[in-house]
Amino acid sequence: MATTNVPYERAFIFSAAIRIFHWLRALSILVLVITGFYIAWPFLVAPSNSDVLVQGWVRFAHLIFGFVLCAITLARAYLFFFSKSDIERRSFKDVTSVNSWIVQLKSYLWMGHLDKKGVYGPLQFVTYFAVSVIAALICITGLALYANVYHLGLGGMLADMAAWLTGAMGGLAQVRIWHHYFTWVFIIFVVIHVYMAVWTGIRFKHNSVDSIVSGYDYHPKKH
Amino acid sequence: MDTHAALYQQGQARLEELRRLAPRHAQTLQDKMEEHGITRRDFMKWSAAVTAMLALPLPFSTLVAEAAELADRVPLIWLHMAECTGCSESLVRADTPNLDSLIFDHVSLEYHETLMAAAGWQAEENLEHALEAYKGNYLLAVEGAIPTANNGAFLTVGCKGHTGLEIIHHAAEGAAAIISVGTCASFGGVQAAAPNPTGAKGVDKVVNKTVVNLGGCPPSEKNIVGTLMYFIMFGKLPALDMFNRPKWAYGARVHDNCERRGRFDAGEFVEQFGDEGAKEGYCLYKVGCKGPYTYNNCPTERFNHHTSWPVLAGHGCMGCSEPNFWDDMADFEKPLGRQLLHGLDATADTVGAVILGATAVGIGAHAVASVFANSKED
Repeated sequence: MATTNVPYERAFIFSAAIRIFHWLRALSILVLVITGFYIAWPFLVAPSNSDVLVQGWVRFAHLIFGFVLCAITLARAYLFFFSKSDIERRSFKDVTSVNSWIVQLKSYLWMGHLDKKGVYGPLQFVTYFAVSVIAALICITGLALYANVYHLGLGGMLADMAAWLTGAMGGLAQVRIWHHYFTWVFIIFVVIHVYMAVWTGIRFKHNSVDSIVSGYDYHPKKH
Repeated sequence: MDTHAALYQQGQARLEELRRLAPRHAQTLQDKMEEHGITRRDFMKWSAAVTAMLALPLPFSTLVAEAAELADRVPLIWLHMAECTGCSESLVRADTPNLDSLIFDHVSLEYHETLMAAAGWQAEENLEHALEAYKGNYLLAVEGAIPTANNGAFLTVGCKGHTGLEIIHHAAEGAAAIISVGTCASFGGVQAAAPNPTGAKGVDKVVNKTVVNLGGCPPSEKNIVGTLMYFIMFGKLPALDMFNRPKWAYGARVHDNCERRGRFDAGEFVEQFGDEGAKEGYCLYKVGCKGPYTYNNCPTERFNHHTSWPVLAGHGCMGCSEPNFWDDMADFEKPLGRQLLHGLDATADTVGAVILGATAVGIGAHAVASVFANSKED
């Protein structure tokens, strides 16, 4: 059997912090979407004992994971700018380069390689940036809704800002409905994100899905 | 001196000032109460209740009582714009006149289209006289939205054919304070619902002064009289929330003080009107209650002499005291998250167009790509 030896190398692309945050964020998005839809339309039948707070516990989970998402959104924004490795920041050079856009878009249409300076292609970078902005918005609207749920502690401290946002958005119903619309951005994003991650791994000789688990990208040596 | 002591002194000074003015009625409040069979004890209870409602400490109840007696020193001009008079009805339509309606009667009401005897030129003269004679001192209450399209031509009032816009600009100039009574005056209400052909707006959008918004369709008589009492007592406006509604009335959501809140947290919901859950008094969230997004004191103050309110009667809150409620809160009997499903066929049509469109784009893209494509990279 003839085998060809292709020299491979591996590159460490995702730090432990990035990987942990990625999966924590994935978990919180999953829990938040499920509990969020439950809160919007409660479908479980109440137990015979009204001491069991079904809605209360679902809301509890939603709030806890909401805070987790807020924390990750902040930490991840910090890491983007101040992480020791500049592998994410380097991608910004691709965003400002028309040529890089053409290279990436062509590579998505089965034409040519996926060459990039950092870890993300320009379209990918812009998409992640947009999702991060939506994450910030869903956190902010979520906190404004939360300030109406609990009036002491953190909720009390947020009250004035929540009132300002409610006024600016034209009422709490608007805050609520935008919070609901933003959820759909995440649902659509997750479907495309998983598809693209798998497809990239099949199409190009690069690690794709497992690099966010192991942190390593295996690929043929450039010659 | 703490803030309450300072406020008390301010109230005393204000009432002293009012006492020096001539009463506008021959009959004192005490005479009127005796005539209506309202006892001194009822009056004291009412004063204490209003004090508590305004979130003031109990010693202020003597100020409330004095302010009620001196209410006939404060000129009030009440204007009707694009509206249904339901807010006035909320206040005056009591089967037995209670203190709230009596105070409204006792206030020096200079002009009120529903309640005045005058008509035509005489009515117009009364208004002009009141605006001139009490310039800078009168309290202006407005009921109804202000149509602004076509320079306000969609609303003309009176024999001189002034537009609502003109009247409100003129009246607001000389007002000591302005109160928007009801959702229409506050936020435009049903007149401002999409597509809003008359360009109806709340009063605060057409005048350059602070306006107290008393949202509600109608607001309860307590919220109207409480705001009047606050102005009479202190000569200034109460603390206001993000939509300029008094915090003492609109500081909490309907949801927060709802008597069915325990049912909500327990997950006990009415699934449809008339079911077993409805008979048990379960939470109305799934049949469209907008209490979670609505700031008002309906659960604690109720309507019609504290008799009842929508949720007690078995229908969810429809958010009538919120800005833009007609558009934002629809459908009234479905939760907000179901808003996308306004019309079944229309929704199916949109979904169908998106699916078919995406399919066409997908097939096209694949066909083009397959001309060039190699399934694996070289």
